[in-house]
Amino acid sequence: MRMVLSQRQKEELNRAIADYLLSSGHVDSLEAFKREADINGDVDKKYTGLLEKKWTSVVRLQKRVMELEAKLAEAEKEFIAGAPTREKRSPTEWIPRAPEKYILSGHRAPVTKVVFHPVFSVFVSASEDATIKLWDFETGDFERTLKGHTDSVQDVTFDSNGKMLASCSADMSVKLWDFNTFECTKTLQGHDHNVSSVTFLPTGDFLVSSSRDKTIKIWEVATGYCVKTLSGHREWVRQIRVSPDGLLLASCSNDQTVRIWLLSSKECKMEMREHEHVVECVAWAPESATAAIQEATALAASSSNSAPTENHKKSNLTGPFLASGSRDKTIKIWDVSTGLCVLTLTGHDNWVRGLVFHTGGKYLLSAADDKTLRVWDLRHRRCLKTLEAHQHFCTSLDLHRTAPYVVTGSVDQTVKVWECR
Amino acid sequence: MNEAAVPCPVEDVQGDNRWMSLHQRFVLETKEREPEILFVGDSLISHLIYTDMWETMFAPLHPLNFGIGGDQTQHVLWRLSNGELDNIKPKVVVLLVGTNNHGHTADMIADGIMAVVHLIRDKQPQAHIIVMSLLPRGHLVNPLRQRNAQVNELLAQKLTLMTRVQLVNTAPDFVLPDGTISHLDMYDYLHLTPNGYRKVFEPLHDLLLQLLAESDEADETNNAQSLLHKGP
Repeated sequence: MRMVLSQRQKEELNRAIADYLLSSGHVDSLEAFKREADINGDVDKKYTGLLEKKWTSVVRLQKRVMELEAKLAEAEKEFIAGAPTREKRSPTEWIPRAPEKYILSGHRAPVTKVVFHPVFSVFVSASEDATIKLWDFETGDFERTLKGHTDSVQDVTFDSNGKMLASCSADMSVKLWDFNTFECTKTLQGHDHNVSSVTFLPTGDFLVSSSRDKTIKIWEVATGYCVKTLSGHREWVRQIRVSPDGLLLASCSNDQTVRIWLLSSKECKMEMREHEHVVECVAWAPESATAAIQEATALAASSSNSAPTENHKKSNLTGPFLASGSRDKTIKIWDVSTGLCVLTLTGHDNWVRGLVFHTGGKYLLSAADDKTLRVWDLRHRRCLKTLEAHQHFCTSLDLHRTAPYVVTGSVDQTVKVWECR
Repeated sequence: MNEAAVPCPVEDVQGDNRWMSLHQRFVLETKEREPEILFVGDSLISHLIYTDMWETMFAPLHPLNFGIGGDQTQHVLWRLSNGELDNIKPKVVVLLVGTNNHGHTADMIADGIMAVVHLIRDKQPQAHIIVMSLLPRGHLVNPLRQRNAQVNELLAQKLTLMTRVQLVNTAPDFVLPDGTISHLDMYDYLHLTPNGYRKVFEPLHDLLLQLLAESDEADETNNAQSLLHKGP
């Protein structure tokens, strides 16, 4: 675009430049400039800092305009396309909609993790206040508090039938809770630092934990013994997740990598390195997401290559697929059979903290420090929906396997329940 | 010996040990948090937490605030030498201290600030350091205003040769044409009102965003270069 300044604007620009030269102490240049630009006398006070102001405010305004345009587009879409009614919603399509159904407060410090119970209509939240709280997501009622940890609770997880709950904490312990009596049945000690994440194997007889001590430990649930310690990460291990078939373990770390471990041999199968900052979270794609990811990667190949080769036209990636979220603000999807990153989703404006695949396999949901919850359309590799979820960092989210609900937790100390349509 | 440049804890004259408790809390925070921005200084830094700006503009940048009211350069020097710079790896450190250095000359204060800057550089070699110039103080013209102005001049000279250290004066001219400072900017002619904070710290926020963007670019270039080196 060609810019033309009016005579008066030119004069003002010259004076602003003169003021800049003066305030930066470029005295010789100033004299020369004043002579050439025909400026007489001192520069008026009203030009003080004008050039710097213009320089910075343009960027600020551009950002603001982009934010407003994005909001407008979202509002228009919601208005024109609308959302299905409760009666017409389908489990493969439903996504969380604003406003939230419940805002639940009770925690006295940031909420670190929220997880649905696999059977009952309840979910649990973990917090830096060292407690775990149990809530009914249909009624919004607070049910009870589980106390036992002495420092921030970092992660909570259920076994597949929901009879047992496991939690881990900055107090360096892992605890097992009986979900009928709500008693702590075992406390597993062995990590040398903050325990960041915990998860059951699908069979429920073993439990895996990760820690800031750079290791991953596998525990036998019946005895509470640590049967294996996996080392390899060079820094704090942030999260671990077992693949749905129970064969693979994914871990992510402050060392900016994602690792895949074989649970049969307890060996590291591969290290995937492409994120440019701490990798906060990982999520295994369900079988149902394979088609959408294959189509997305085929589209990506054909749009980036002007002359697509034969094997680029149709993606023959087999998976399994894993998503990872990072402080570099991106979400990546990896083909674990090859170790290659096949998709990168950008849009979050701050650290990505939580990921969960949609049951239907079409969408991926994410929570981030930009305070939003986002729904990503995998096939089209774009953000389908952004919910301004919380007042502060949104640290965690979960999607119910069968009921139309999503929960989110935040540094603002609240937990929110969102209904899907 | 310049006492402004020698690490020294605050003497607990009132007997409640608050200063040391605060310091210990900060050290604990370095072990639990992973800040990208670190604010260090006196009350002008610590009160920033209670502004709306902190919530809306600074909190999203993953900061820690290690400001303690009344601190002088030697106190900050002691805190930073005793754990407050360990365990963390911020991308930017913002420093504002010196106006409380009671009884010290401009030279002493400037050297005290330089001692803090060198310590930060030593312990956090990766970080950009932003030294905020001292603000004017007092309702009417007074020797401390001139002293603070002199400190700023000295700092400008001393800091020119250092890389990734920047002296910034984001403050507008708080001194009005008649020589007074308005209580609308500084309610007690020293501490900033919310309005005063906006004037000083909004431009700082822009600068922080710029520095964070530049450090991301630098990371990418480094990665690209290391890939090049590894290449065939």
